[in-house]
Amino acid sequence: MSKTSDTQKANPLREGLATRTVPQACSVVIFGATGDLTMRKLIPALYNLAADGELPPAVTVIGFARRPKTDDEFRKEQGESTRKFSRQTVRDEVWNSFAQALFYHQSEFHDAAGYKSLAERLDKIDQERGTGGNRLFYLAVAPDQFEPIIKNLKEAGLNKAREGSWARVIVEKPFGTDLASARELNAVVHTAFAEDQTYRIDHFLGKETAQNILVLRFANAIFEPLWNSHYIDHVQITAAETLGVEGRAGYYEGAGALRDMVQNHLLQLLCLVTMEAPTDLSADAIRDEKVKVVRSLRRIPCEKVAENVIRGQYAEGAINGQAAPGYRAEKNVNPNSQTETFVALRLFVDSWRWANVPFFVRVGKRLPKSGTEISVHFKKAPQVLFNKEMSALDQNVLVIRIQPDEGISLRMQAKMPGTSFRIEPVKMDFHYGTSFGKASPEAYERLLLDATSGDATLFARRDEVEEAWAFIDPIEEAWASKEEPPKLFEYPAGSWGPDAADEFLARDGRAWRRL
Amino acid sequence: MPVEIGRIDRELKRLWVENGGVKTRASLVNLAVYSEAPDSLPINTQIISKITENHACRAIVIGANPGAKENRVEAWVTAHCHVSQSGNKQVCCEQLSFLLEGPCTRLLPNIVFSHLDSDLPFYLWWQGEFHDSMDPQLWAWVDRVIYDSQRWSDFCAQMERVETAQAEGKQRILLCDLNWTRLVQFRLAIAQFFDPAPARARFEEIKTVEIDFGAGYRSTALLLSGWLASQLKWKVEGRTRDNKLTFRSESGTAISVSLQERGETPISRCTLKCNGMEFRVLNPEDSDLLHVTAAAPGQTPPPQLMPAGSNDPAQLMEEELMGVGRHRVYLRAMNCVRDLL
Repeated sequence: MSKTSDTQKANPLREGLATRTVPQACSVVIFGATGDLTMRKLIPALYNLAADGELPPAVTVIGFARRPKTDDEFRKEQGESTRKFSRQTVRDEVWNSFAQALFYHQSEFHDAAGYKSLAERLDKIDQERGTGGNRLFYLAVAPDQFEPIIKNLKEAGLNKAREGSWARVIVEKPFGTDLASARELNAVVHTAFAEDQTYRIDHFLGKETAQNILVLRFANAIFEPLWNSHYIDHVQITAAETLGVEGRAGYYEGAGALRDMVQNHLLQLLCLVTMEAPTDLSADAIRDEKVKVVRSLRRIPCEKVAENVIRGQYAEGAINGQAAPGYRAEKNVNPNSQTETFVALRLFVDSWRWANVPFFVRVGKRLPKSGTEISVHFKKAPQVLFNKEMSALDQNVLVIRIQPDEGISLRMQAKMPGTSFRIEPVKMDFHYGTSFGKASPEAYERLLLDATSGDATLFARRDEVEEAWAFIDPIEEAWASKEEPPKLFEYPAGSWGPDAADEFLARDGRAWRRL
Repeated sequence: MPVEIGRIDRELKRLWVENGGVKTRASLVNLAVYSEAPDSLPINTQIISKITENHACRAIVIGANPGAKENRVEAWVTAHCHVSQSGNKQVCCEQLSFLLEGPCTRLLPNIVFSHLDSDLPFYLWWQGEFHDSMDPQLWAWVDRVIYDSQRWSDFCAQMERVETAQAEGKQRILLCDLNWTRLVQFRLAIAQFFDPAPARARFEEIKTVEIDFGAGYRSTALLLSGWLASQLKWKVEGRTRDNKLTFRSESGTAISVSLQERGETPISRCTLKCNGMEFRVLNPEDSDLLHVTAAAPGQTPPPQLMPAGSNDPAQLMEEELMGVGRHRVYLRAMNCVRDLL
């Protein structure tokens, strides 16, 4: 998307070719190479990029982790998991060629000697494989490991690229747990890497449908004139999961739904829906507009949290007819846990365009159905003509489905056949899967390719992350308060969250959209 | 299902009503396929079935025999259904088939235009050669005309007809040559050598280009040479016997391009030789992967494997339909070697 990436300056042989410029060869060092993210997402994404000819052959992947392992063992393990998780079928011939570029480097994250030997190994790889001194460090580890890794990378001189080369770091979420820790992490990262070397990943932004929001808004003339408080009644953003914590209790207990989903993914979607048109498609032009949105979010002071935010925790219930335990009965969860697994917020973007338009955002685990979508609810038509009392179903609603079954639908009113004037809502529905047979690349493919190309458009900038925490912190503070904290509501697993979340909208005569 | 021409719309409606809404109809484009080859209808129906797996369209397949003395017009409607990506939906595309014989083939535009899905672009895939006098009405609504110049007996004469049609269109008609589409993967493989800025200094060092082509694919090899020449701003100097062409770069370097017929694969090798470096793209017989290497002469590093694409008409069409339709580059390449084609 960005105009400023490394290699796009006029290769005349690229003209007219639909695929993008192949990035420069580089070494990709993955910290946490034996973890789930590496096996399920990162290596399959790199394999798919290589199989599609989107990466140069010299691209080399070095897995960095604590467990002792040989290169061959690492290749074998990654081969097995890639066969399981890859978007496209793994072909032996292509995998064998790709696997030659996989290496394993065993070290503790805090062991300086391990980084010294990594630096030597990378130099050797540069010479043998032609990676040109370009390095991409991927921190697929828990945030408490960021500091020793960054410090050691700096001490080994790996944060600095030689002239004509580059060094970049990709940081996985969660990027901090509050504003103070995010600032601290940013400070740690910036001791070694400048902002333009830092790529904070939010995989929601790598999804085709998230990127399509900008296309829908700015490549179609019909929506933008209506995209404001004159015509839009309210907007809902929902991210629902049927899953519970699924072995992530250790992390989730300290995070909760607000930090895990709202601070990053959902605020990013909100930004895409509400931002002004950027001056161009460069990374900073887009991110400048997004950060203006986060800055314009009306802060919710501690005393107003109960009015504007509902939190909930799932209790025992059933999903798809199967009994599901309550959150507090899950493995590694404190039996008295106050962690929220559901949160619903009413937000306002205090800008000219969005004055007094409420944005209802909800996210939850153990809900009846999985799905992420944005629904834009337009104001009702005047009632003067058809002498009909309008209900919520009579509003025009534009729905952007992010996952699954990506697509866009528009609800409108139509006359039912017959001699009487009966008006009913109908839906125009566009499904990506129906119209385009070809599967979209995985979000991680797009994001890894962007990072190797130096395109930061789909990555969060420091100010975006910090502003988002500045918005979230007072809510967390209110919940952590010892004096009458807002209530944590229970909801049965398999329901659409606590009743309080429904009442929250019902107060203003609105209702959550049924997914 | 055979239908009367005047009842096509009604029969189509019935087709969808009868399945009780279980199937989803999808269409992003009107794709008309015209052929005068005998038995083309079943062959093209199979091709459309493959195409619609990835490209939802309303297909209008026409088998014509203008040389027949008696008029004969027959029509059928068919639905091509596939399970969608999510696996829970049958996605279907409509195909209208026409068999036209005799003088009534002149009514082609009339038949095609009355069955276009409204508001969708109209792509006309013309198989075989264009006629001397094409009905200007035919081009009235065409957005893309798709042809395969590899099969043309007289390239210049055919191209003139296409260009006349383009001039007569009410809108900009994109010219899509499947012979050019055949080169997409080779072009990608060659282009990626020069993506890193330092590698682009090598353009000035290219002295020799060797292209191996399969029987009947000389024109494909010429288009590949034309692409390199036009994009790198080489001027045609001349040609010698034995398929040897000479070009001169802007800085005055002489470049020799040799084309050699070898095997059956449309393009099986393209090597660009510079000072101390060879950029090589191989498409081994019976492989769907390109073997791509950049190395000093005599060295054989392990190749990068890239998709080779396919010469199958359905897959060529899919590649074409995925394309963004920017054909300036094609026109430049084609014009560069036009008199050699």
